[in-house]
Amino acid sequence: MTTGELDSQLELLQGTLDLLILQTLAFGPAHGHAIARIIQQRSDEVLQVGHGSLYPALQRLLKRGLIVADDGLSENNRKARFYRLTAKGRKRLSAETSKWQRFSSAIARLLSPLPNQNP
Amino acid sequence: MKPWEAHRERLEGEMQAHIDLETQENIDAGMSPAEAREAAMRKFGSLLLASDQSREAWGWLGPERLWQDMRFALRGFRKNTGFTVVALLSLMLGIGASIALFSVVYGVLIAPYPYARPNQIWAPAVLGPNDAVHGWHWYSQRELDEIQKLPAFSDVMATSVKPVLLTGGINPENFYGVFLTGGAFNFLDVKPLLGRTIQPFDIGPGGEPAPVVVLSYGFWQRFFSGDPHAIGRTITLDDVPRTIIGVMPPRFGWWTSEAFWLPLRTDPKDLSGLAVIMRLAPGVTQHAAEQQLNQLNIRFAAERPSDYPKGQLRTILLNYMDITVASGDMSASLHLLFAAVGLLLLIACVNVANLQLARTTGRAREIAMRLAIGAGRARLVRQLLTESVLLSVVGGALGVLFALGATHLIVALIPPDYVPNEARIAINGWVLLFSLGVSMLTGILFGLAPALRSSRPDLVGTLKDGGGGATGSVRGRAMRSWLVVAEIALSVILLSGASLAVRGFVQLLHVDPGFQPERVLRLSVTLGPKRYPTWQQRNVLDRNLLAGIVNLPGVEAAELGNGGLPYGGWRSSYTIAGQARTDGRKVALALISSQYPQTLDIPLKHGREFTEAEMESGMRVALINESAARLWPAGEDPVGRSMQIDDLAHPPDDPQVLAAPGIAAGVTIVGVIGDTRNDGLAEAPFPAVYLPYTLYAPPERELAVRTSGDPLSLVNAVRLKARDLDKDLALGRPNTLNEVLGEETQQPRFFMALFTTFAALGLALAAIGIYSVISYNVTQRVQEIGVRMALGAKRGDILRLILLVVAKFASLGLAIGLVGSILIERLVRFQLFTRTSFGVAPLAAIVLLLAAVAGLAAWLPAARAGNLDPVTALRHEA
Repeated sequence: MTTGELDSQLELLQGTLDLLILQTLAFGPAHGHAIARIIQQRSDEVLQVGHGSLYPALQRLLKRGLIVADDGLSENNRKARFYRLTAKGRKRLSAETSKWQRFSSAIARLLSPLPNQNP
Repeated sequence: MKPWEAHRERLEGEMQAHIDLETQENIDAGMSPAEAREAAMRKFGSLLLASDQSREAWGWLGPERLWQDMRFALRGFRKNTGFTVVALLSLMLGIGASIALFSVVYGVLIAPYPYARPNQIWAPAVLGPNDAVHGWHWYSQRELDEIQKLPAFSDVMATSVKPVLLTGGINPENFYGVFLTGGAFNFLDVKPLLGRTIQPFDIGPGGEPAPVVVLSYGFWQRFFSGDPHAIGRTITLDDVPRTIIGVMPPRFGWWTSEAFWLPLRTDPKDLSGLAVIMRLAPGVTQHAAEQQLNQLNIRFAAERPSDYPKGQLRTILLNYMDITVASGDMSASLHLLFAAVGLLLLIACVNVANLQLARTTGRAREIAMRLAIGAGRARLVRQLLTESVLLSVVGGALGVLFALGATHLIVALIPPDYVPNEARIAINGWVLLFSLGVSMLTGILFGLAPALRSSRPDLVGTLKDGGGGATGSVRGRAMRSWLVVAEIALSVILLSGASLAVRGFVQLLHVDPGFQPERVLRLSVTLGPKRYPTWQQRNVLDRNLLAGIVNLPGVEAAELGNGGLPYGGWRSSYTIAGQARTDGRKVALALISSQYPQTLDIPLKHGREFTEAEMESGMRVALINESAARLWPAGEDPVGRSMQIDDLAHPPDDPQVLAAPGIAAGVTIVGVIGDTRNDGLAEAPFPAVYLPYTLYAPPERELAVRTSGDPLSLVNAVRLKARDLDKDLALGRPNTLNEVLGEETQQPRFFMALFTTFAALGLALAAIGIYSVISYNVTQRVQEIGVRMALGAKRGDILRLILLVVAKFASLGLAIGLVGSILIERLVRFQLFTRTSFGVAPLAAIVLLLAAVAGLAAWLPAARAGNLDPVTALRHEA
């Protein structure tokens, strides 16, 4: 990835991708492709997930017991693996979300112009 | 299917489905199928990477990569059969032979005894001012009492061996019973297999021993078939019924492994010799103990001067481990074998090192290529390590199998009496670990070192270089050349050592013993001492027995006596009239009957033989051998002279031995007979004096019968003759003189067989190793040869060039090997069973053989290269 692309598409930090996957699954079970599409749409195409990198993240979450996978059929009637949140995953999602929100609002405060500052 | 494969398949299936879905969406959005798929794949990124990373999350990658590496390694080994076979063979033989031999050495030299703390057992030697240590000192009972009181020793025990007659069975049989002091079993500290051992309370307050006996495992098996109810039963020994109180385990063999142990009668008047051993009291040094004991010995010597050396006494405590196992021929030859096997292991290691070096250096280009397309250095090293370890593990496993077989073979080949009868030889765990460790380390080290070097990123250079044709592996080549030098040198040393062993053995086989050992039966006869209480009675019985046997059909001559069959009996100091008495000079004494020279076929050189009258009355006449005749100055005829044999002047130590009335030191020499190897085949003849057997009447005699046919076929006739005279006469196990001589060549034969086997293995390994490395080196230079030929070099020039280089290293190796051999020969010369030295012929043969191997190894690939079309050679990529 070149520096040019960084302007419009933010490379996802590893932990962020995990959080996004958990967030996506909070609305219901989904298969890999659906997760990728949803993340892409919800972030207004700003967050560009290299679809391939989704899978190592999914395996990480599976191993930590935050999600589980069931076999099912995809839209085009192909075998697919549907991922859904576990109770543990849901708890982790809310914890991580609030942490992320605190963090991002702190960043936002730091970066926004200071209106009350007298020259 | 392996679990990680199933996992991988499912993952990759899922990812494929993802790409398919994306493709479908793209087609729906209006792309052409090809465009759609390409876009989907671009969006997905590297499927392989994603798959790898996904599996890494689970830790599947470790075993999977190991499996991958192993498969790759196996493929490589299969493709490179020559390399694999040589490496495995080297490892197998090197590891196997060293484990087997180290196990023998461990069982025989390092931990041969079941006794408690055997290295803390000491035996005293008492020496005159100029004596060398030649065995331990024998004390009397009264002296033993005094020694036990010395504060330097925490525990003292004594052993005495006497013939004991077993009666009550089918045939009376003579055994050497071992008599022990009451605390002896506690001193040795070995638990009995059954019952109990002899304890101090088994010897009464008056010194009277209880009628008890502890059986050896062998005796128990033979007479009681291992019946556990043997305890409490009785056997009759020397006409005394004795209760069996215990049976010792098979490994317990204190002075016997086929007889029994009895409590020793405590009798201060008994002067017969006791072997005394002791343990030092805590905190007492060996030196301090020697000092204390020496003071005591000086007093003993004053009381009993005939049994102590003359002059200033020295006392030395010998460690029991040293005097019994680590001394003499066996230890010397085992040490040499040890060295031989060490050399073999070294050669094997050099081989493996060489092969690994050559192979890995040859793979420099492959490694550079893999680095160039993105292989991690750690991953690469891991791959090479997997290969080395795999090779070592397989080689090691084969080695262990080889060791199991070889150990069985060695144990089967070991001559009896060659090792302490307590020793047990089994594969030794530590030894196994050691040998495996050494050779695996070599394999890994030499596999990895060049790998690490070639994984250093000078990719361009290596890739351009075409696999080390001209410049790339100069360092690797130099190293391999030095390894060849080492290998040749080691082989020369090993082979010359083997040639020494073979020469020694052949010399021993061709020694003329001075008598004819064929067709001579040997048998011991023991009479019941209580039933023949007088000297007269015993000699009458012996004479009748001998007369009966001489007249048997098939008997050419028969002889009866003590010592001299064929090795000299006991030794005594002497004086010759007109010569100054010298201390330390001794002659060997043997008691013989009149047909001794005919029975052994020893020529009479001078004078006459004994007359029957001299024989019957026990007159003090003597035959001497030629060595003894040389004790007189040249030109002086000993026949008719007399000499003083000091031992004849003293009453016998053993009260059961009865001396002729009026016996005295002076004897008259009546004849000289030929020299025999009476001190062992490898030793020069010892001066010997032969006396009429009737001078002494011990209970036991040795009988020798020269027969016209098979000597063993006469055993029954002799047995019947003996029974006619007295049904309680005990006959020992019959054997032949040839067997006795054979026993003496057994040790050298065993030694030679082992040494030659190891040398042959070493030669084979070295030959394979030298050949493979030299031919590999030459093959590596094919490109260079092409350049030279393109520039106009002739085929002869090429050959000369290559042969010169090889000749340089080979002759260096041969020279180092020869120098090493000569140094080692100096070192071992005085330890070997015969005093032999290198012959020029075997050394020349060894040098020629190794030079031929090296030459052939250089010639074949060089000739091939010389025949090549220069263009092909130039393109050649090794």
